[in-house]
Amino acid sequence: MNKELEHSFVELLEKHQNIVHKVCRLYTNNYDAHNDLFQEITIQLWKAYPKFRGDAKFSTWMYRVGLNTAITLYRKSKRIINTQGFDAIQFKIKAEDYDDTEEQQLKLLYKAVHQLNDIEKALVFLYLEDKNYKEISETMGITEVNARVKMNRVKTKLRTILNP
Amino acid sequence: MDELELLKKDWKKEDQDYPKLSYKEIYKMILKKSSSIVKWIFIISLLEFVFWAIISLALKDSNMLDGVKDLDMNNIIIPASIISYAILIYFFYLFYKNYRNIIATDSTKRLMENILKTRRTVKYYVAFNLASLVVGTFISLFYVLKHDGNAISQIELASANGELFKVYAIYILVTILILAVVVGILLLFYWLVYGILLKRLNKNYRELKKLEV
Repeated sequence: MNKELEHSFVELLEKHQNIVHKVCRLYTNNYDAHNDLFQEITIQLWKAYPKFRGDAKFSTWMYRVGLNTAITLYRKSKRIINTQGFDAIQFKIKAEDYDDTEEQQLKLLYKAVHQLNDIEKALVFLYLEDKNYKEISETMGITEVNARVKMNRVKTKLRTILNP
Repeated sequence: MDELELLKKDWKKEDQDYPKLSYKEIYKMILKKSSSIVKWIFIISLLEFVFWAIISLALKDSNMLDGVKDLDMNNIIIPASIISYAILIYFFYLFYKNYRNIIATDSTKRLMENILKTRRTVKYYVAFNLASLVVGTFISLFYVLKHDGNAISQIELASANGELFKVYAIYILVTILILAVVVGILLLFYWLVYGILLKRLNKNYRELKKLEV
C-alpha cells in the first residue's frame, strides 16, 4: 500500500515539479539553496500526501505546502551562504527572446522581487501564478481586502525599488 | 506597463528553463529526513521534558531522600510530587495535541499560529518548572532552618551572639544568588535556542499580523 502511495506521489510531483522550482526560485538565490529548499518542500509534500484528497487540485495543494515550507517551516542549512543579488541564480533569461531594454528591465525586476520580504514574495508568487484574491487570501490566511491592499503596496514597493 | 505584468509574461515563458528532476531523484528525496523548524522545536521540547523530569527525579533521589526523613517533609513532598507529575502529563498532552495540529496544508497564518502555540506550551512548562524550582528551594530552606540539626545549632549560637539576623540574611541571600544564577543560565539558553530557531517565523508572523491593523 505504501509503495503504491509512494509511486503515485512521485509521479505527480515529477509532473508538477515546476511549481516547487518556482517557489525555490523566489526564495533562494543560489543553486545549493534552491536544491535544499526543493528537498524540504518535497519532504513536506510527502508527509502531507496521505491526507491529500482528490477534491483539491494537486497543483493548488502544492502551492500551499510549497509556500508554507518556504516561509515558515524551512530552516536554512548552515553550509548555504546567502548572497544578495540575483546574478548567482542558475536560470538565465534567454537573451534572444527579448530586446535589450526589456531584458534589462526583467533582470532589474527579478532583482527587485528578491528584495521583498517573505510574505510579499508569497503574494507576488501567487499573483504571477494567476491566482485570484480569494485564493491568495485563503492560502495566506488573511482577508481578501487585506490581500488586495497588500498587493498594491507590494507593487508600489517594487516601483520604488526600481526607480529610487 | 505594469511591472508585474511584464514579469508575469516572462514567468510563464520560463517553464522549460527549470531543472527537470527524474522520478528516481524525487523518490530519493522522499526518503530523506526533514530538517524543518517544527522538527527542531519538537526535539528541543522533548529534551526539555526529559531534562526537567530527570532533575526532579534526581532531586528526590539524592540530597533529599536522606535529609528528608529527618526534616519531616513527607507531608509536603508526596502531594507536591503527585501534583507535579499530573501537571507534567497534562503539559505533555497539550504539547502533543498542539504538535499534531501543525499541518503544512493549513493557511500560512494558521500554520504559524499553531507553531507558536506549541512553542508557548513549552514556554509555560518551563516557566512552571522554574517557578516550582524557586518555590521548592525556599520551602526546603524554611524546613532546613527549622529542622536541620546543624542549622539549628548555628542559629542558636548566632542568637546568643546577637547575630541572628545576619545568619538568616546569609542563608537567604546565598539561596537567592544560586537560584538567580541557575534560572539566569536556563533562561539565557532558552532565549538563544528559540530566538535563533523562531527568528524568521516571528518576523513573518508580525508581517502578516500587521496587515490586520
